[in-house]
Amino acid sequence: MESFVEIKNLVKKYKNTSNVAVDNLSLTIPKGSVFGLLGPNGAGKTTFISMLCGLFKPNEGSIFINGKSMQTHSKECKQIIGVVPQEIALYPTLTAWENLIFLGHMYGIKTQELKIRITNNLKLLGLYDHAHQKISTYSGGMKRRINLIAGLLHNPELLILDEPTVGVDVQSKQAIIDYLKKLNTEMGMTILYTSHHLSEAEEFCSNIAIIDSGKIITQGETKLLISENNCDSIEEVYLKITGNKFRD
Amino acid sequence: MKLLYSIYKEYKVLIRDKAGLAIIFLMPTVLIFIITLIQDSTFKSVTEASVPLLIVDRDNDSLSITLQKSLEKSHFFHITKKFISNQEAKNEIANGKYLIGIVIPEKTSENLRIKSADRISTLLNNFTGDTAKPVNPIDTSHLKLQLYFDPITKSSFKTTISNSISSIISQIEMQNMMISLNNKMLENFPYSNPKPLNTAPLVTTSEEYASFNNSTIIPNSVQHNVPAWTLFAMFFICIPLAGNIIKERTDGSAFRLLTMPGSYIYVIFGKMITYIIINLIQFALMLCVGLFILPLLGLPQLNVGDNFFVLILVAFSAGLAATGFGLLVGTISNSHDQASLFGAIFVIILAAIGGVWVPTFVMPSMMKHLSVISPLNWGLEAFYGIFLRNFGLKQILPELIKLWMFFVLTTIGSFLYQKKIRMK
Repeated sequence: MESFVEIKNLVKKYKNTSNVAVDNLSLTIPKGSVFGLLGPNGAGKTTFISMLCGLFKPNEGSIFINGKSMQTHSKECKQIIGVVPQEIALYPTLTAWENLIFLGHMYGIKTQELKIRITNNLKLLGLYDHAHQKISTYSGGMKRRINLIAGLLHNPELLILDEPTVGVDVQSKQAIIDYLKKLNTEMGMTILYTSHHLSEAEEFCSNIAIIDSGKIITQGETKLLISENNCDSIEEVYLKITGNKFRD
Repeated sequence: MKLLYSIYKEYKVLIRDKAGLAIIFLMPTVLIFIITLIQDSTFKSVTEASVPLLIVDRDNDSLSITLQKSLEKSHFFHITKKFISNQEAKNEIANGKYLIGIVIPEKTSENLRIKSADRISTLLNNFTGDTAKPVNPIDTSHLKLQLYFDPITKSSFKTTISNSISSIISQIEMQNMMISLNNKMLENFPYSNPKPLNTAPLVTTSEEYASFNNSTIIPNSVQHNVPAWTLFAMFFICIPLAGNIIKERTDGSAFRLLTMPGSYIYVIFGKMITYIIINLIQFALMLCVGLFILPLLGLPQLNVGDNFFVLILVAFSAGLAATGFGLLVGTISNSHDQASLFGAIFVIILAAIGGVWVPTFVMPSMMKHLSVISPLNWGLEAFYGIFLRNFGLKQILPELIKLWMFFVLTTIGSFLYQKKIRMK
């Protein structure tokens, strides 16, 4: 399978700490895959995603997205990445429509085209009737769905999702997962997904990597990982590899 | 387009933030009203007739009448006449009812006339060789005017008032002498018909405020407080601006915007432009308060001078400095609480040093020297230049350059901190 993201020997050390947040990490994300990045708290997932998005520069190593280096072609790389942060990164006093219009323009999308995309996305995620309500009046699930749309407006080739279903009800969770599956199968969008919902990851991701202490401990196709480790689920694999110790 | 939409977003966020709007517009308006009214009498004591003065006139003759007229003409005193004893007059001053008391003893004018005539007679007798003693020996104790001062009066003020009164009395004395001389000469030359003697002073002084375009505006509480509190409000926007930046950072919006190609710079510039526009609206509002509202409360009307373009330029430059400061506070602070506390305290200190609370011209020498480090002082001096001295662009350029430099340094500092510290 053709790779879309190539990470080689990535190292990140924060100033004033002796710990290495990301330690010589190498990873390949196949094009059109749904790639799950799992790991306990403090494993280095957020640091890794921040570097992948071009927010932090690595101390060592390289990041290639669709054949282009993030270090030297960050503008081109950023243009094809969509990010859905764990936080509801929206302006609560603005309406959903106002939020999406602003964010779409920040991606440089023309107004007419942007309005069509916003309308389509809102309809698909069942929020069109609430488009002109302030975000502060939305339920947790509605906010998560708008948060997802905000990362999709520029039709990215790589969608990075950091805990996209945390704190939402079953219906909203299902709507989000179904929509992501649709994007992956119908548009061929490559998805990088992090979550603590391991059963959700097992169902949703074609490939999974488990990260701990800044290192990739294991990675591969989801089904293969389960069978190779003689386990029944990805949760069992996860516990087998990372152990039962608290990671507070 | 990105910049326009960023400005539009900031406008929408701000217009729905009622508390933020209150800080931006209501707080400075209320401050201008309160502080201007409080300080009005203090400023008047420096500039206009407001010194309460008690005159106990037991003479009620030419000296007391002339003295009172001269004091009234100075427009510096609010005169009250009473017929009370010296002790009662002293008590009224000690109670703080009056700042100064003048007791003019009985027959002071009459005795002055006799003494003047006597001195002239003695002088002329010296020429004629008649050295006989004067017929009426003078009791000099009757010619002593008693002045009482409130203990709170500064010695410099006391000396100024004493000298002014002495000067008026000297003039009256001189006039009496000249009248006596005139009369004596008429006695000696009964058939002459001289013209009435002109006793007007031969040397007078001419006073005017040294300003351009013959402007003679005297600083008053409106002239100080409107620009001072407008600048305070302009710099106080560092709190909503910093809060806005921190909120975006903590809720993940900044993370999302930083992952967009080149967008965060538009967001930051969008914020700065929005807040500079807010600063200009604040300035226009405060100007309207000074021009139209304060006169309704019996306060002087704000005189904005003739250089309207330069006035807008000063407001714009102060807005640049204020937004640069807000950007720096928002970048280096880790939380909204930290930014509110740090921003508020820092602006209050800069305002105190810069002469917003207490004007620099009444500050001790050391504080006057220290005031030049405050950007609020640079803005205030520029406004003073326009309002009071009719300065043009050339004269206030040094202050404007300082404000621009402050903006450049704070903005560069913010970007460097963001790049070198936050994103490392």
